[in-house]
Amino acid sequence: MVRSKKLRLAFGVEFLSFTLPALIVILLFVEIPFIMSIAYSFTRWNGLDKVPKFIGLENYKELLTNDKVMMQSFVFTFIFAVLFVVAVNIVALALAVMLDSEIKGRNLFRAAFYIPNIISLIVIGYIWRFIFSKGFESLYNLTHAGIFQLSWLGDSKIAFFSVLIVSVWQAAGFYMVIYIAGLQTIPKDITEAAYIDGAGGLKRFFTVTLPLIMPSVTVCVFYSLSNAFKIFDIIFSLTFGGPGTATTSIALDIYKTAFNDFRFGYGSAKSVVLFLMILVVTLIQLSIFKSKEVEA
Amino acid sequence: MRNRAAKIILTVVLAVFALIYLYPLMLVIINSMKSFSEIMADVISLPKKLTFDNYVKAFQIMEYPHLFLNTLIVTVIGVTGVVLISSMAGYKLSRTKTKYSWLIFIVCIAPMMIPFHSFMIALVKIAKNLHLINSIYGLGVIYWGLGAPLALFMYHGFAKTVPKELDECAIIDGCSPFRTFFSIIFPLLTPVTVSTIVINAMWMWNDFLLPLLMLSGEQKQKTLQIAAYSFFGQYKVEWHFAMSGVMLTVIPAIIFYIALQKYIIKGMVAGAVKG
Repeated sequence: MVRSKKLRLAFGVEFLSFTLPALIVILLFVEIPFIMSIAYSFTRWNGLDKVPKFIGLENYKELLTNDKVMMQSFVFTFIFAVLFVVAVNIVALALAVMLDSEIKGRNLFRAAFYIPNIISLIVIGYIWRFIFSKGFESLYNLTHAGIFQLSWLGDSKIAFFSVLIVSVWQAAGFYMVIYIAGLQTIPKDITEAAYIDGAGGLKRFFTVTLPLIMPSVTVCVFYSLSNAFKIFDIIFSLTFGGPGTATTSIALDIYKTAFNDFRFGYGSAKSVVLFLMILVVTLIQLSIFKSKEVEA
Repeated sequence: MRNRAAKIILTVVLAVFALIYLYPLMLVIINSMKSFSEIMADVISLPKKLTFDNYVKAFQIMEYPHLFLNTLIVTVIGVTGVVLISSMAGYKLSRTKTKYSWLIFIVCIAPMMIPFHSFMIALVKIAKNLHLINSIYGLGVIYWGLGAPLALFMYHGFAKTVPKELDECAIIDGCSPFRTFFSIIFPLLTPVTVSTIVINAMWMWNDFLLPLLMLSGEQKQKTLQIAAYSFFGQYKVEWHFAMSGVMLTVIPAIIFYIALQKYIIKGMVAGAVKG
């Protein structure tokens, strides 16, 4: 009896020494701050006061009824997310299909399209600020094409597409790689059978290839969707949410509310809303896409 | 015959598209070597002479060696910690089938659903209280908590495929649990370790927002990405320094990528599909 107690103790100590470090850092740096954020969302707090002041649902009320910037950032983020998910997946899938065929130098091509993905997002934004201003100026002088003369960062409607183009350009390589991995799992005899049966390229793609890589599509849509909702760095360095507040995303709005306006309670309320939104949207997306997967 | 022609056309199309795709980066390289007046006159033309003066200047202004070392320290501390902590916990949790271990597993992987922006405000407060703020070492430690959930999830899944008999043999041969793990189990988890290193190293090296929140102090305590940000703020109009600064920030990541390309792509795919 005593012996088994000792054994159980030894087992417990061993178990904890393996698992406790992970548990502690995850609780300390993610979950406790998250729970604190939910608590802060019911308070008014400027970061200097010792104790945040409890104000109930005031923050949420203000957020829903009296915050034009927040509403605008919602609209921006939603439209951006939809267009980004569609555009990046089409570009990535098209590249993947082309690079899945046996052409010379395909590894070089893959590397080329992947390169923007290894550069930090903040630097990507700066690079494109240079391209949109100085680069396009010179390209206009060379070609006189009107597209280079547009105010890519100064006009609020066009700035939206600047952010979109840069984001797709940066991310497409990453999703391309996932799609290539998916395409490689398709048994060659299936596509060959379809070819012999006389299905043309496009038909073969939509009726054979696409249904078979639905798991990859699910993964890519899931990732691109949740990344789109979290967009921050590129906007931070490319437009800083401007002109005006035209390209302010929810994440940037949270950052500005908390660290520029020093309204930590209000910023926390916004961050809780962001969490709920991403949760709901990704759950809906996963349940829809999972049902479309088929097996070879 | 038709097939071959199609392949050539496809290659040409891809080559043209790849050139357009990478043209912005080529412009950065070209302009990082030009003088200021050359950039103002024309961005597209090649530099008149090959010079690295801008690099030397940007190197000095950014205090590059110091910041490079800082970023490297953050990344190494972060990656090492994530690998150690998550492999140990992931392995142990996959071996024990009690309701506590299930609960701990759920608690550990739940953060994968929590976006960083949802808890960053309170994280700054906690980091302040723990004196982890304004320190590159503190920053590295904070990454442990942020990187562990996905890594733990991947280790947990993979450790299930390692036969339990191996543990038992080692114990019977007199190995301590730690020795069993580090000399027998851990080497078998290498595929996940590679993925974890790749995913976390790229992320920590390139991350911007967390360092921005944590390192608000002096230049000595900055990472390359933060330096690039303040560098651009200061030298917004001096494009020639800015472009060489960009190159200096990007080159380490590119070298890392070229050297480990095979592992990076594999690791990224594994992380995405399993996550």
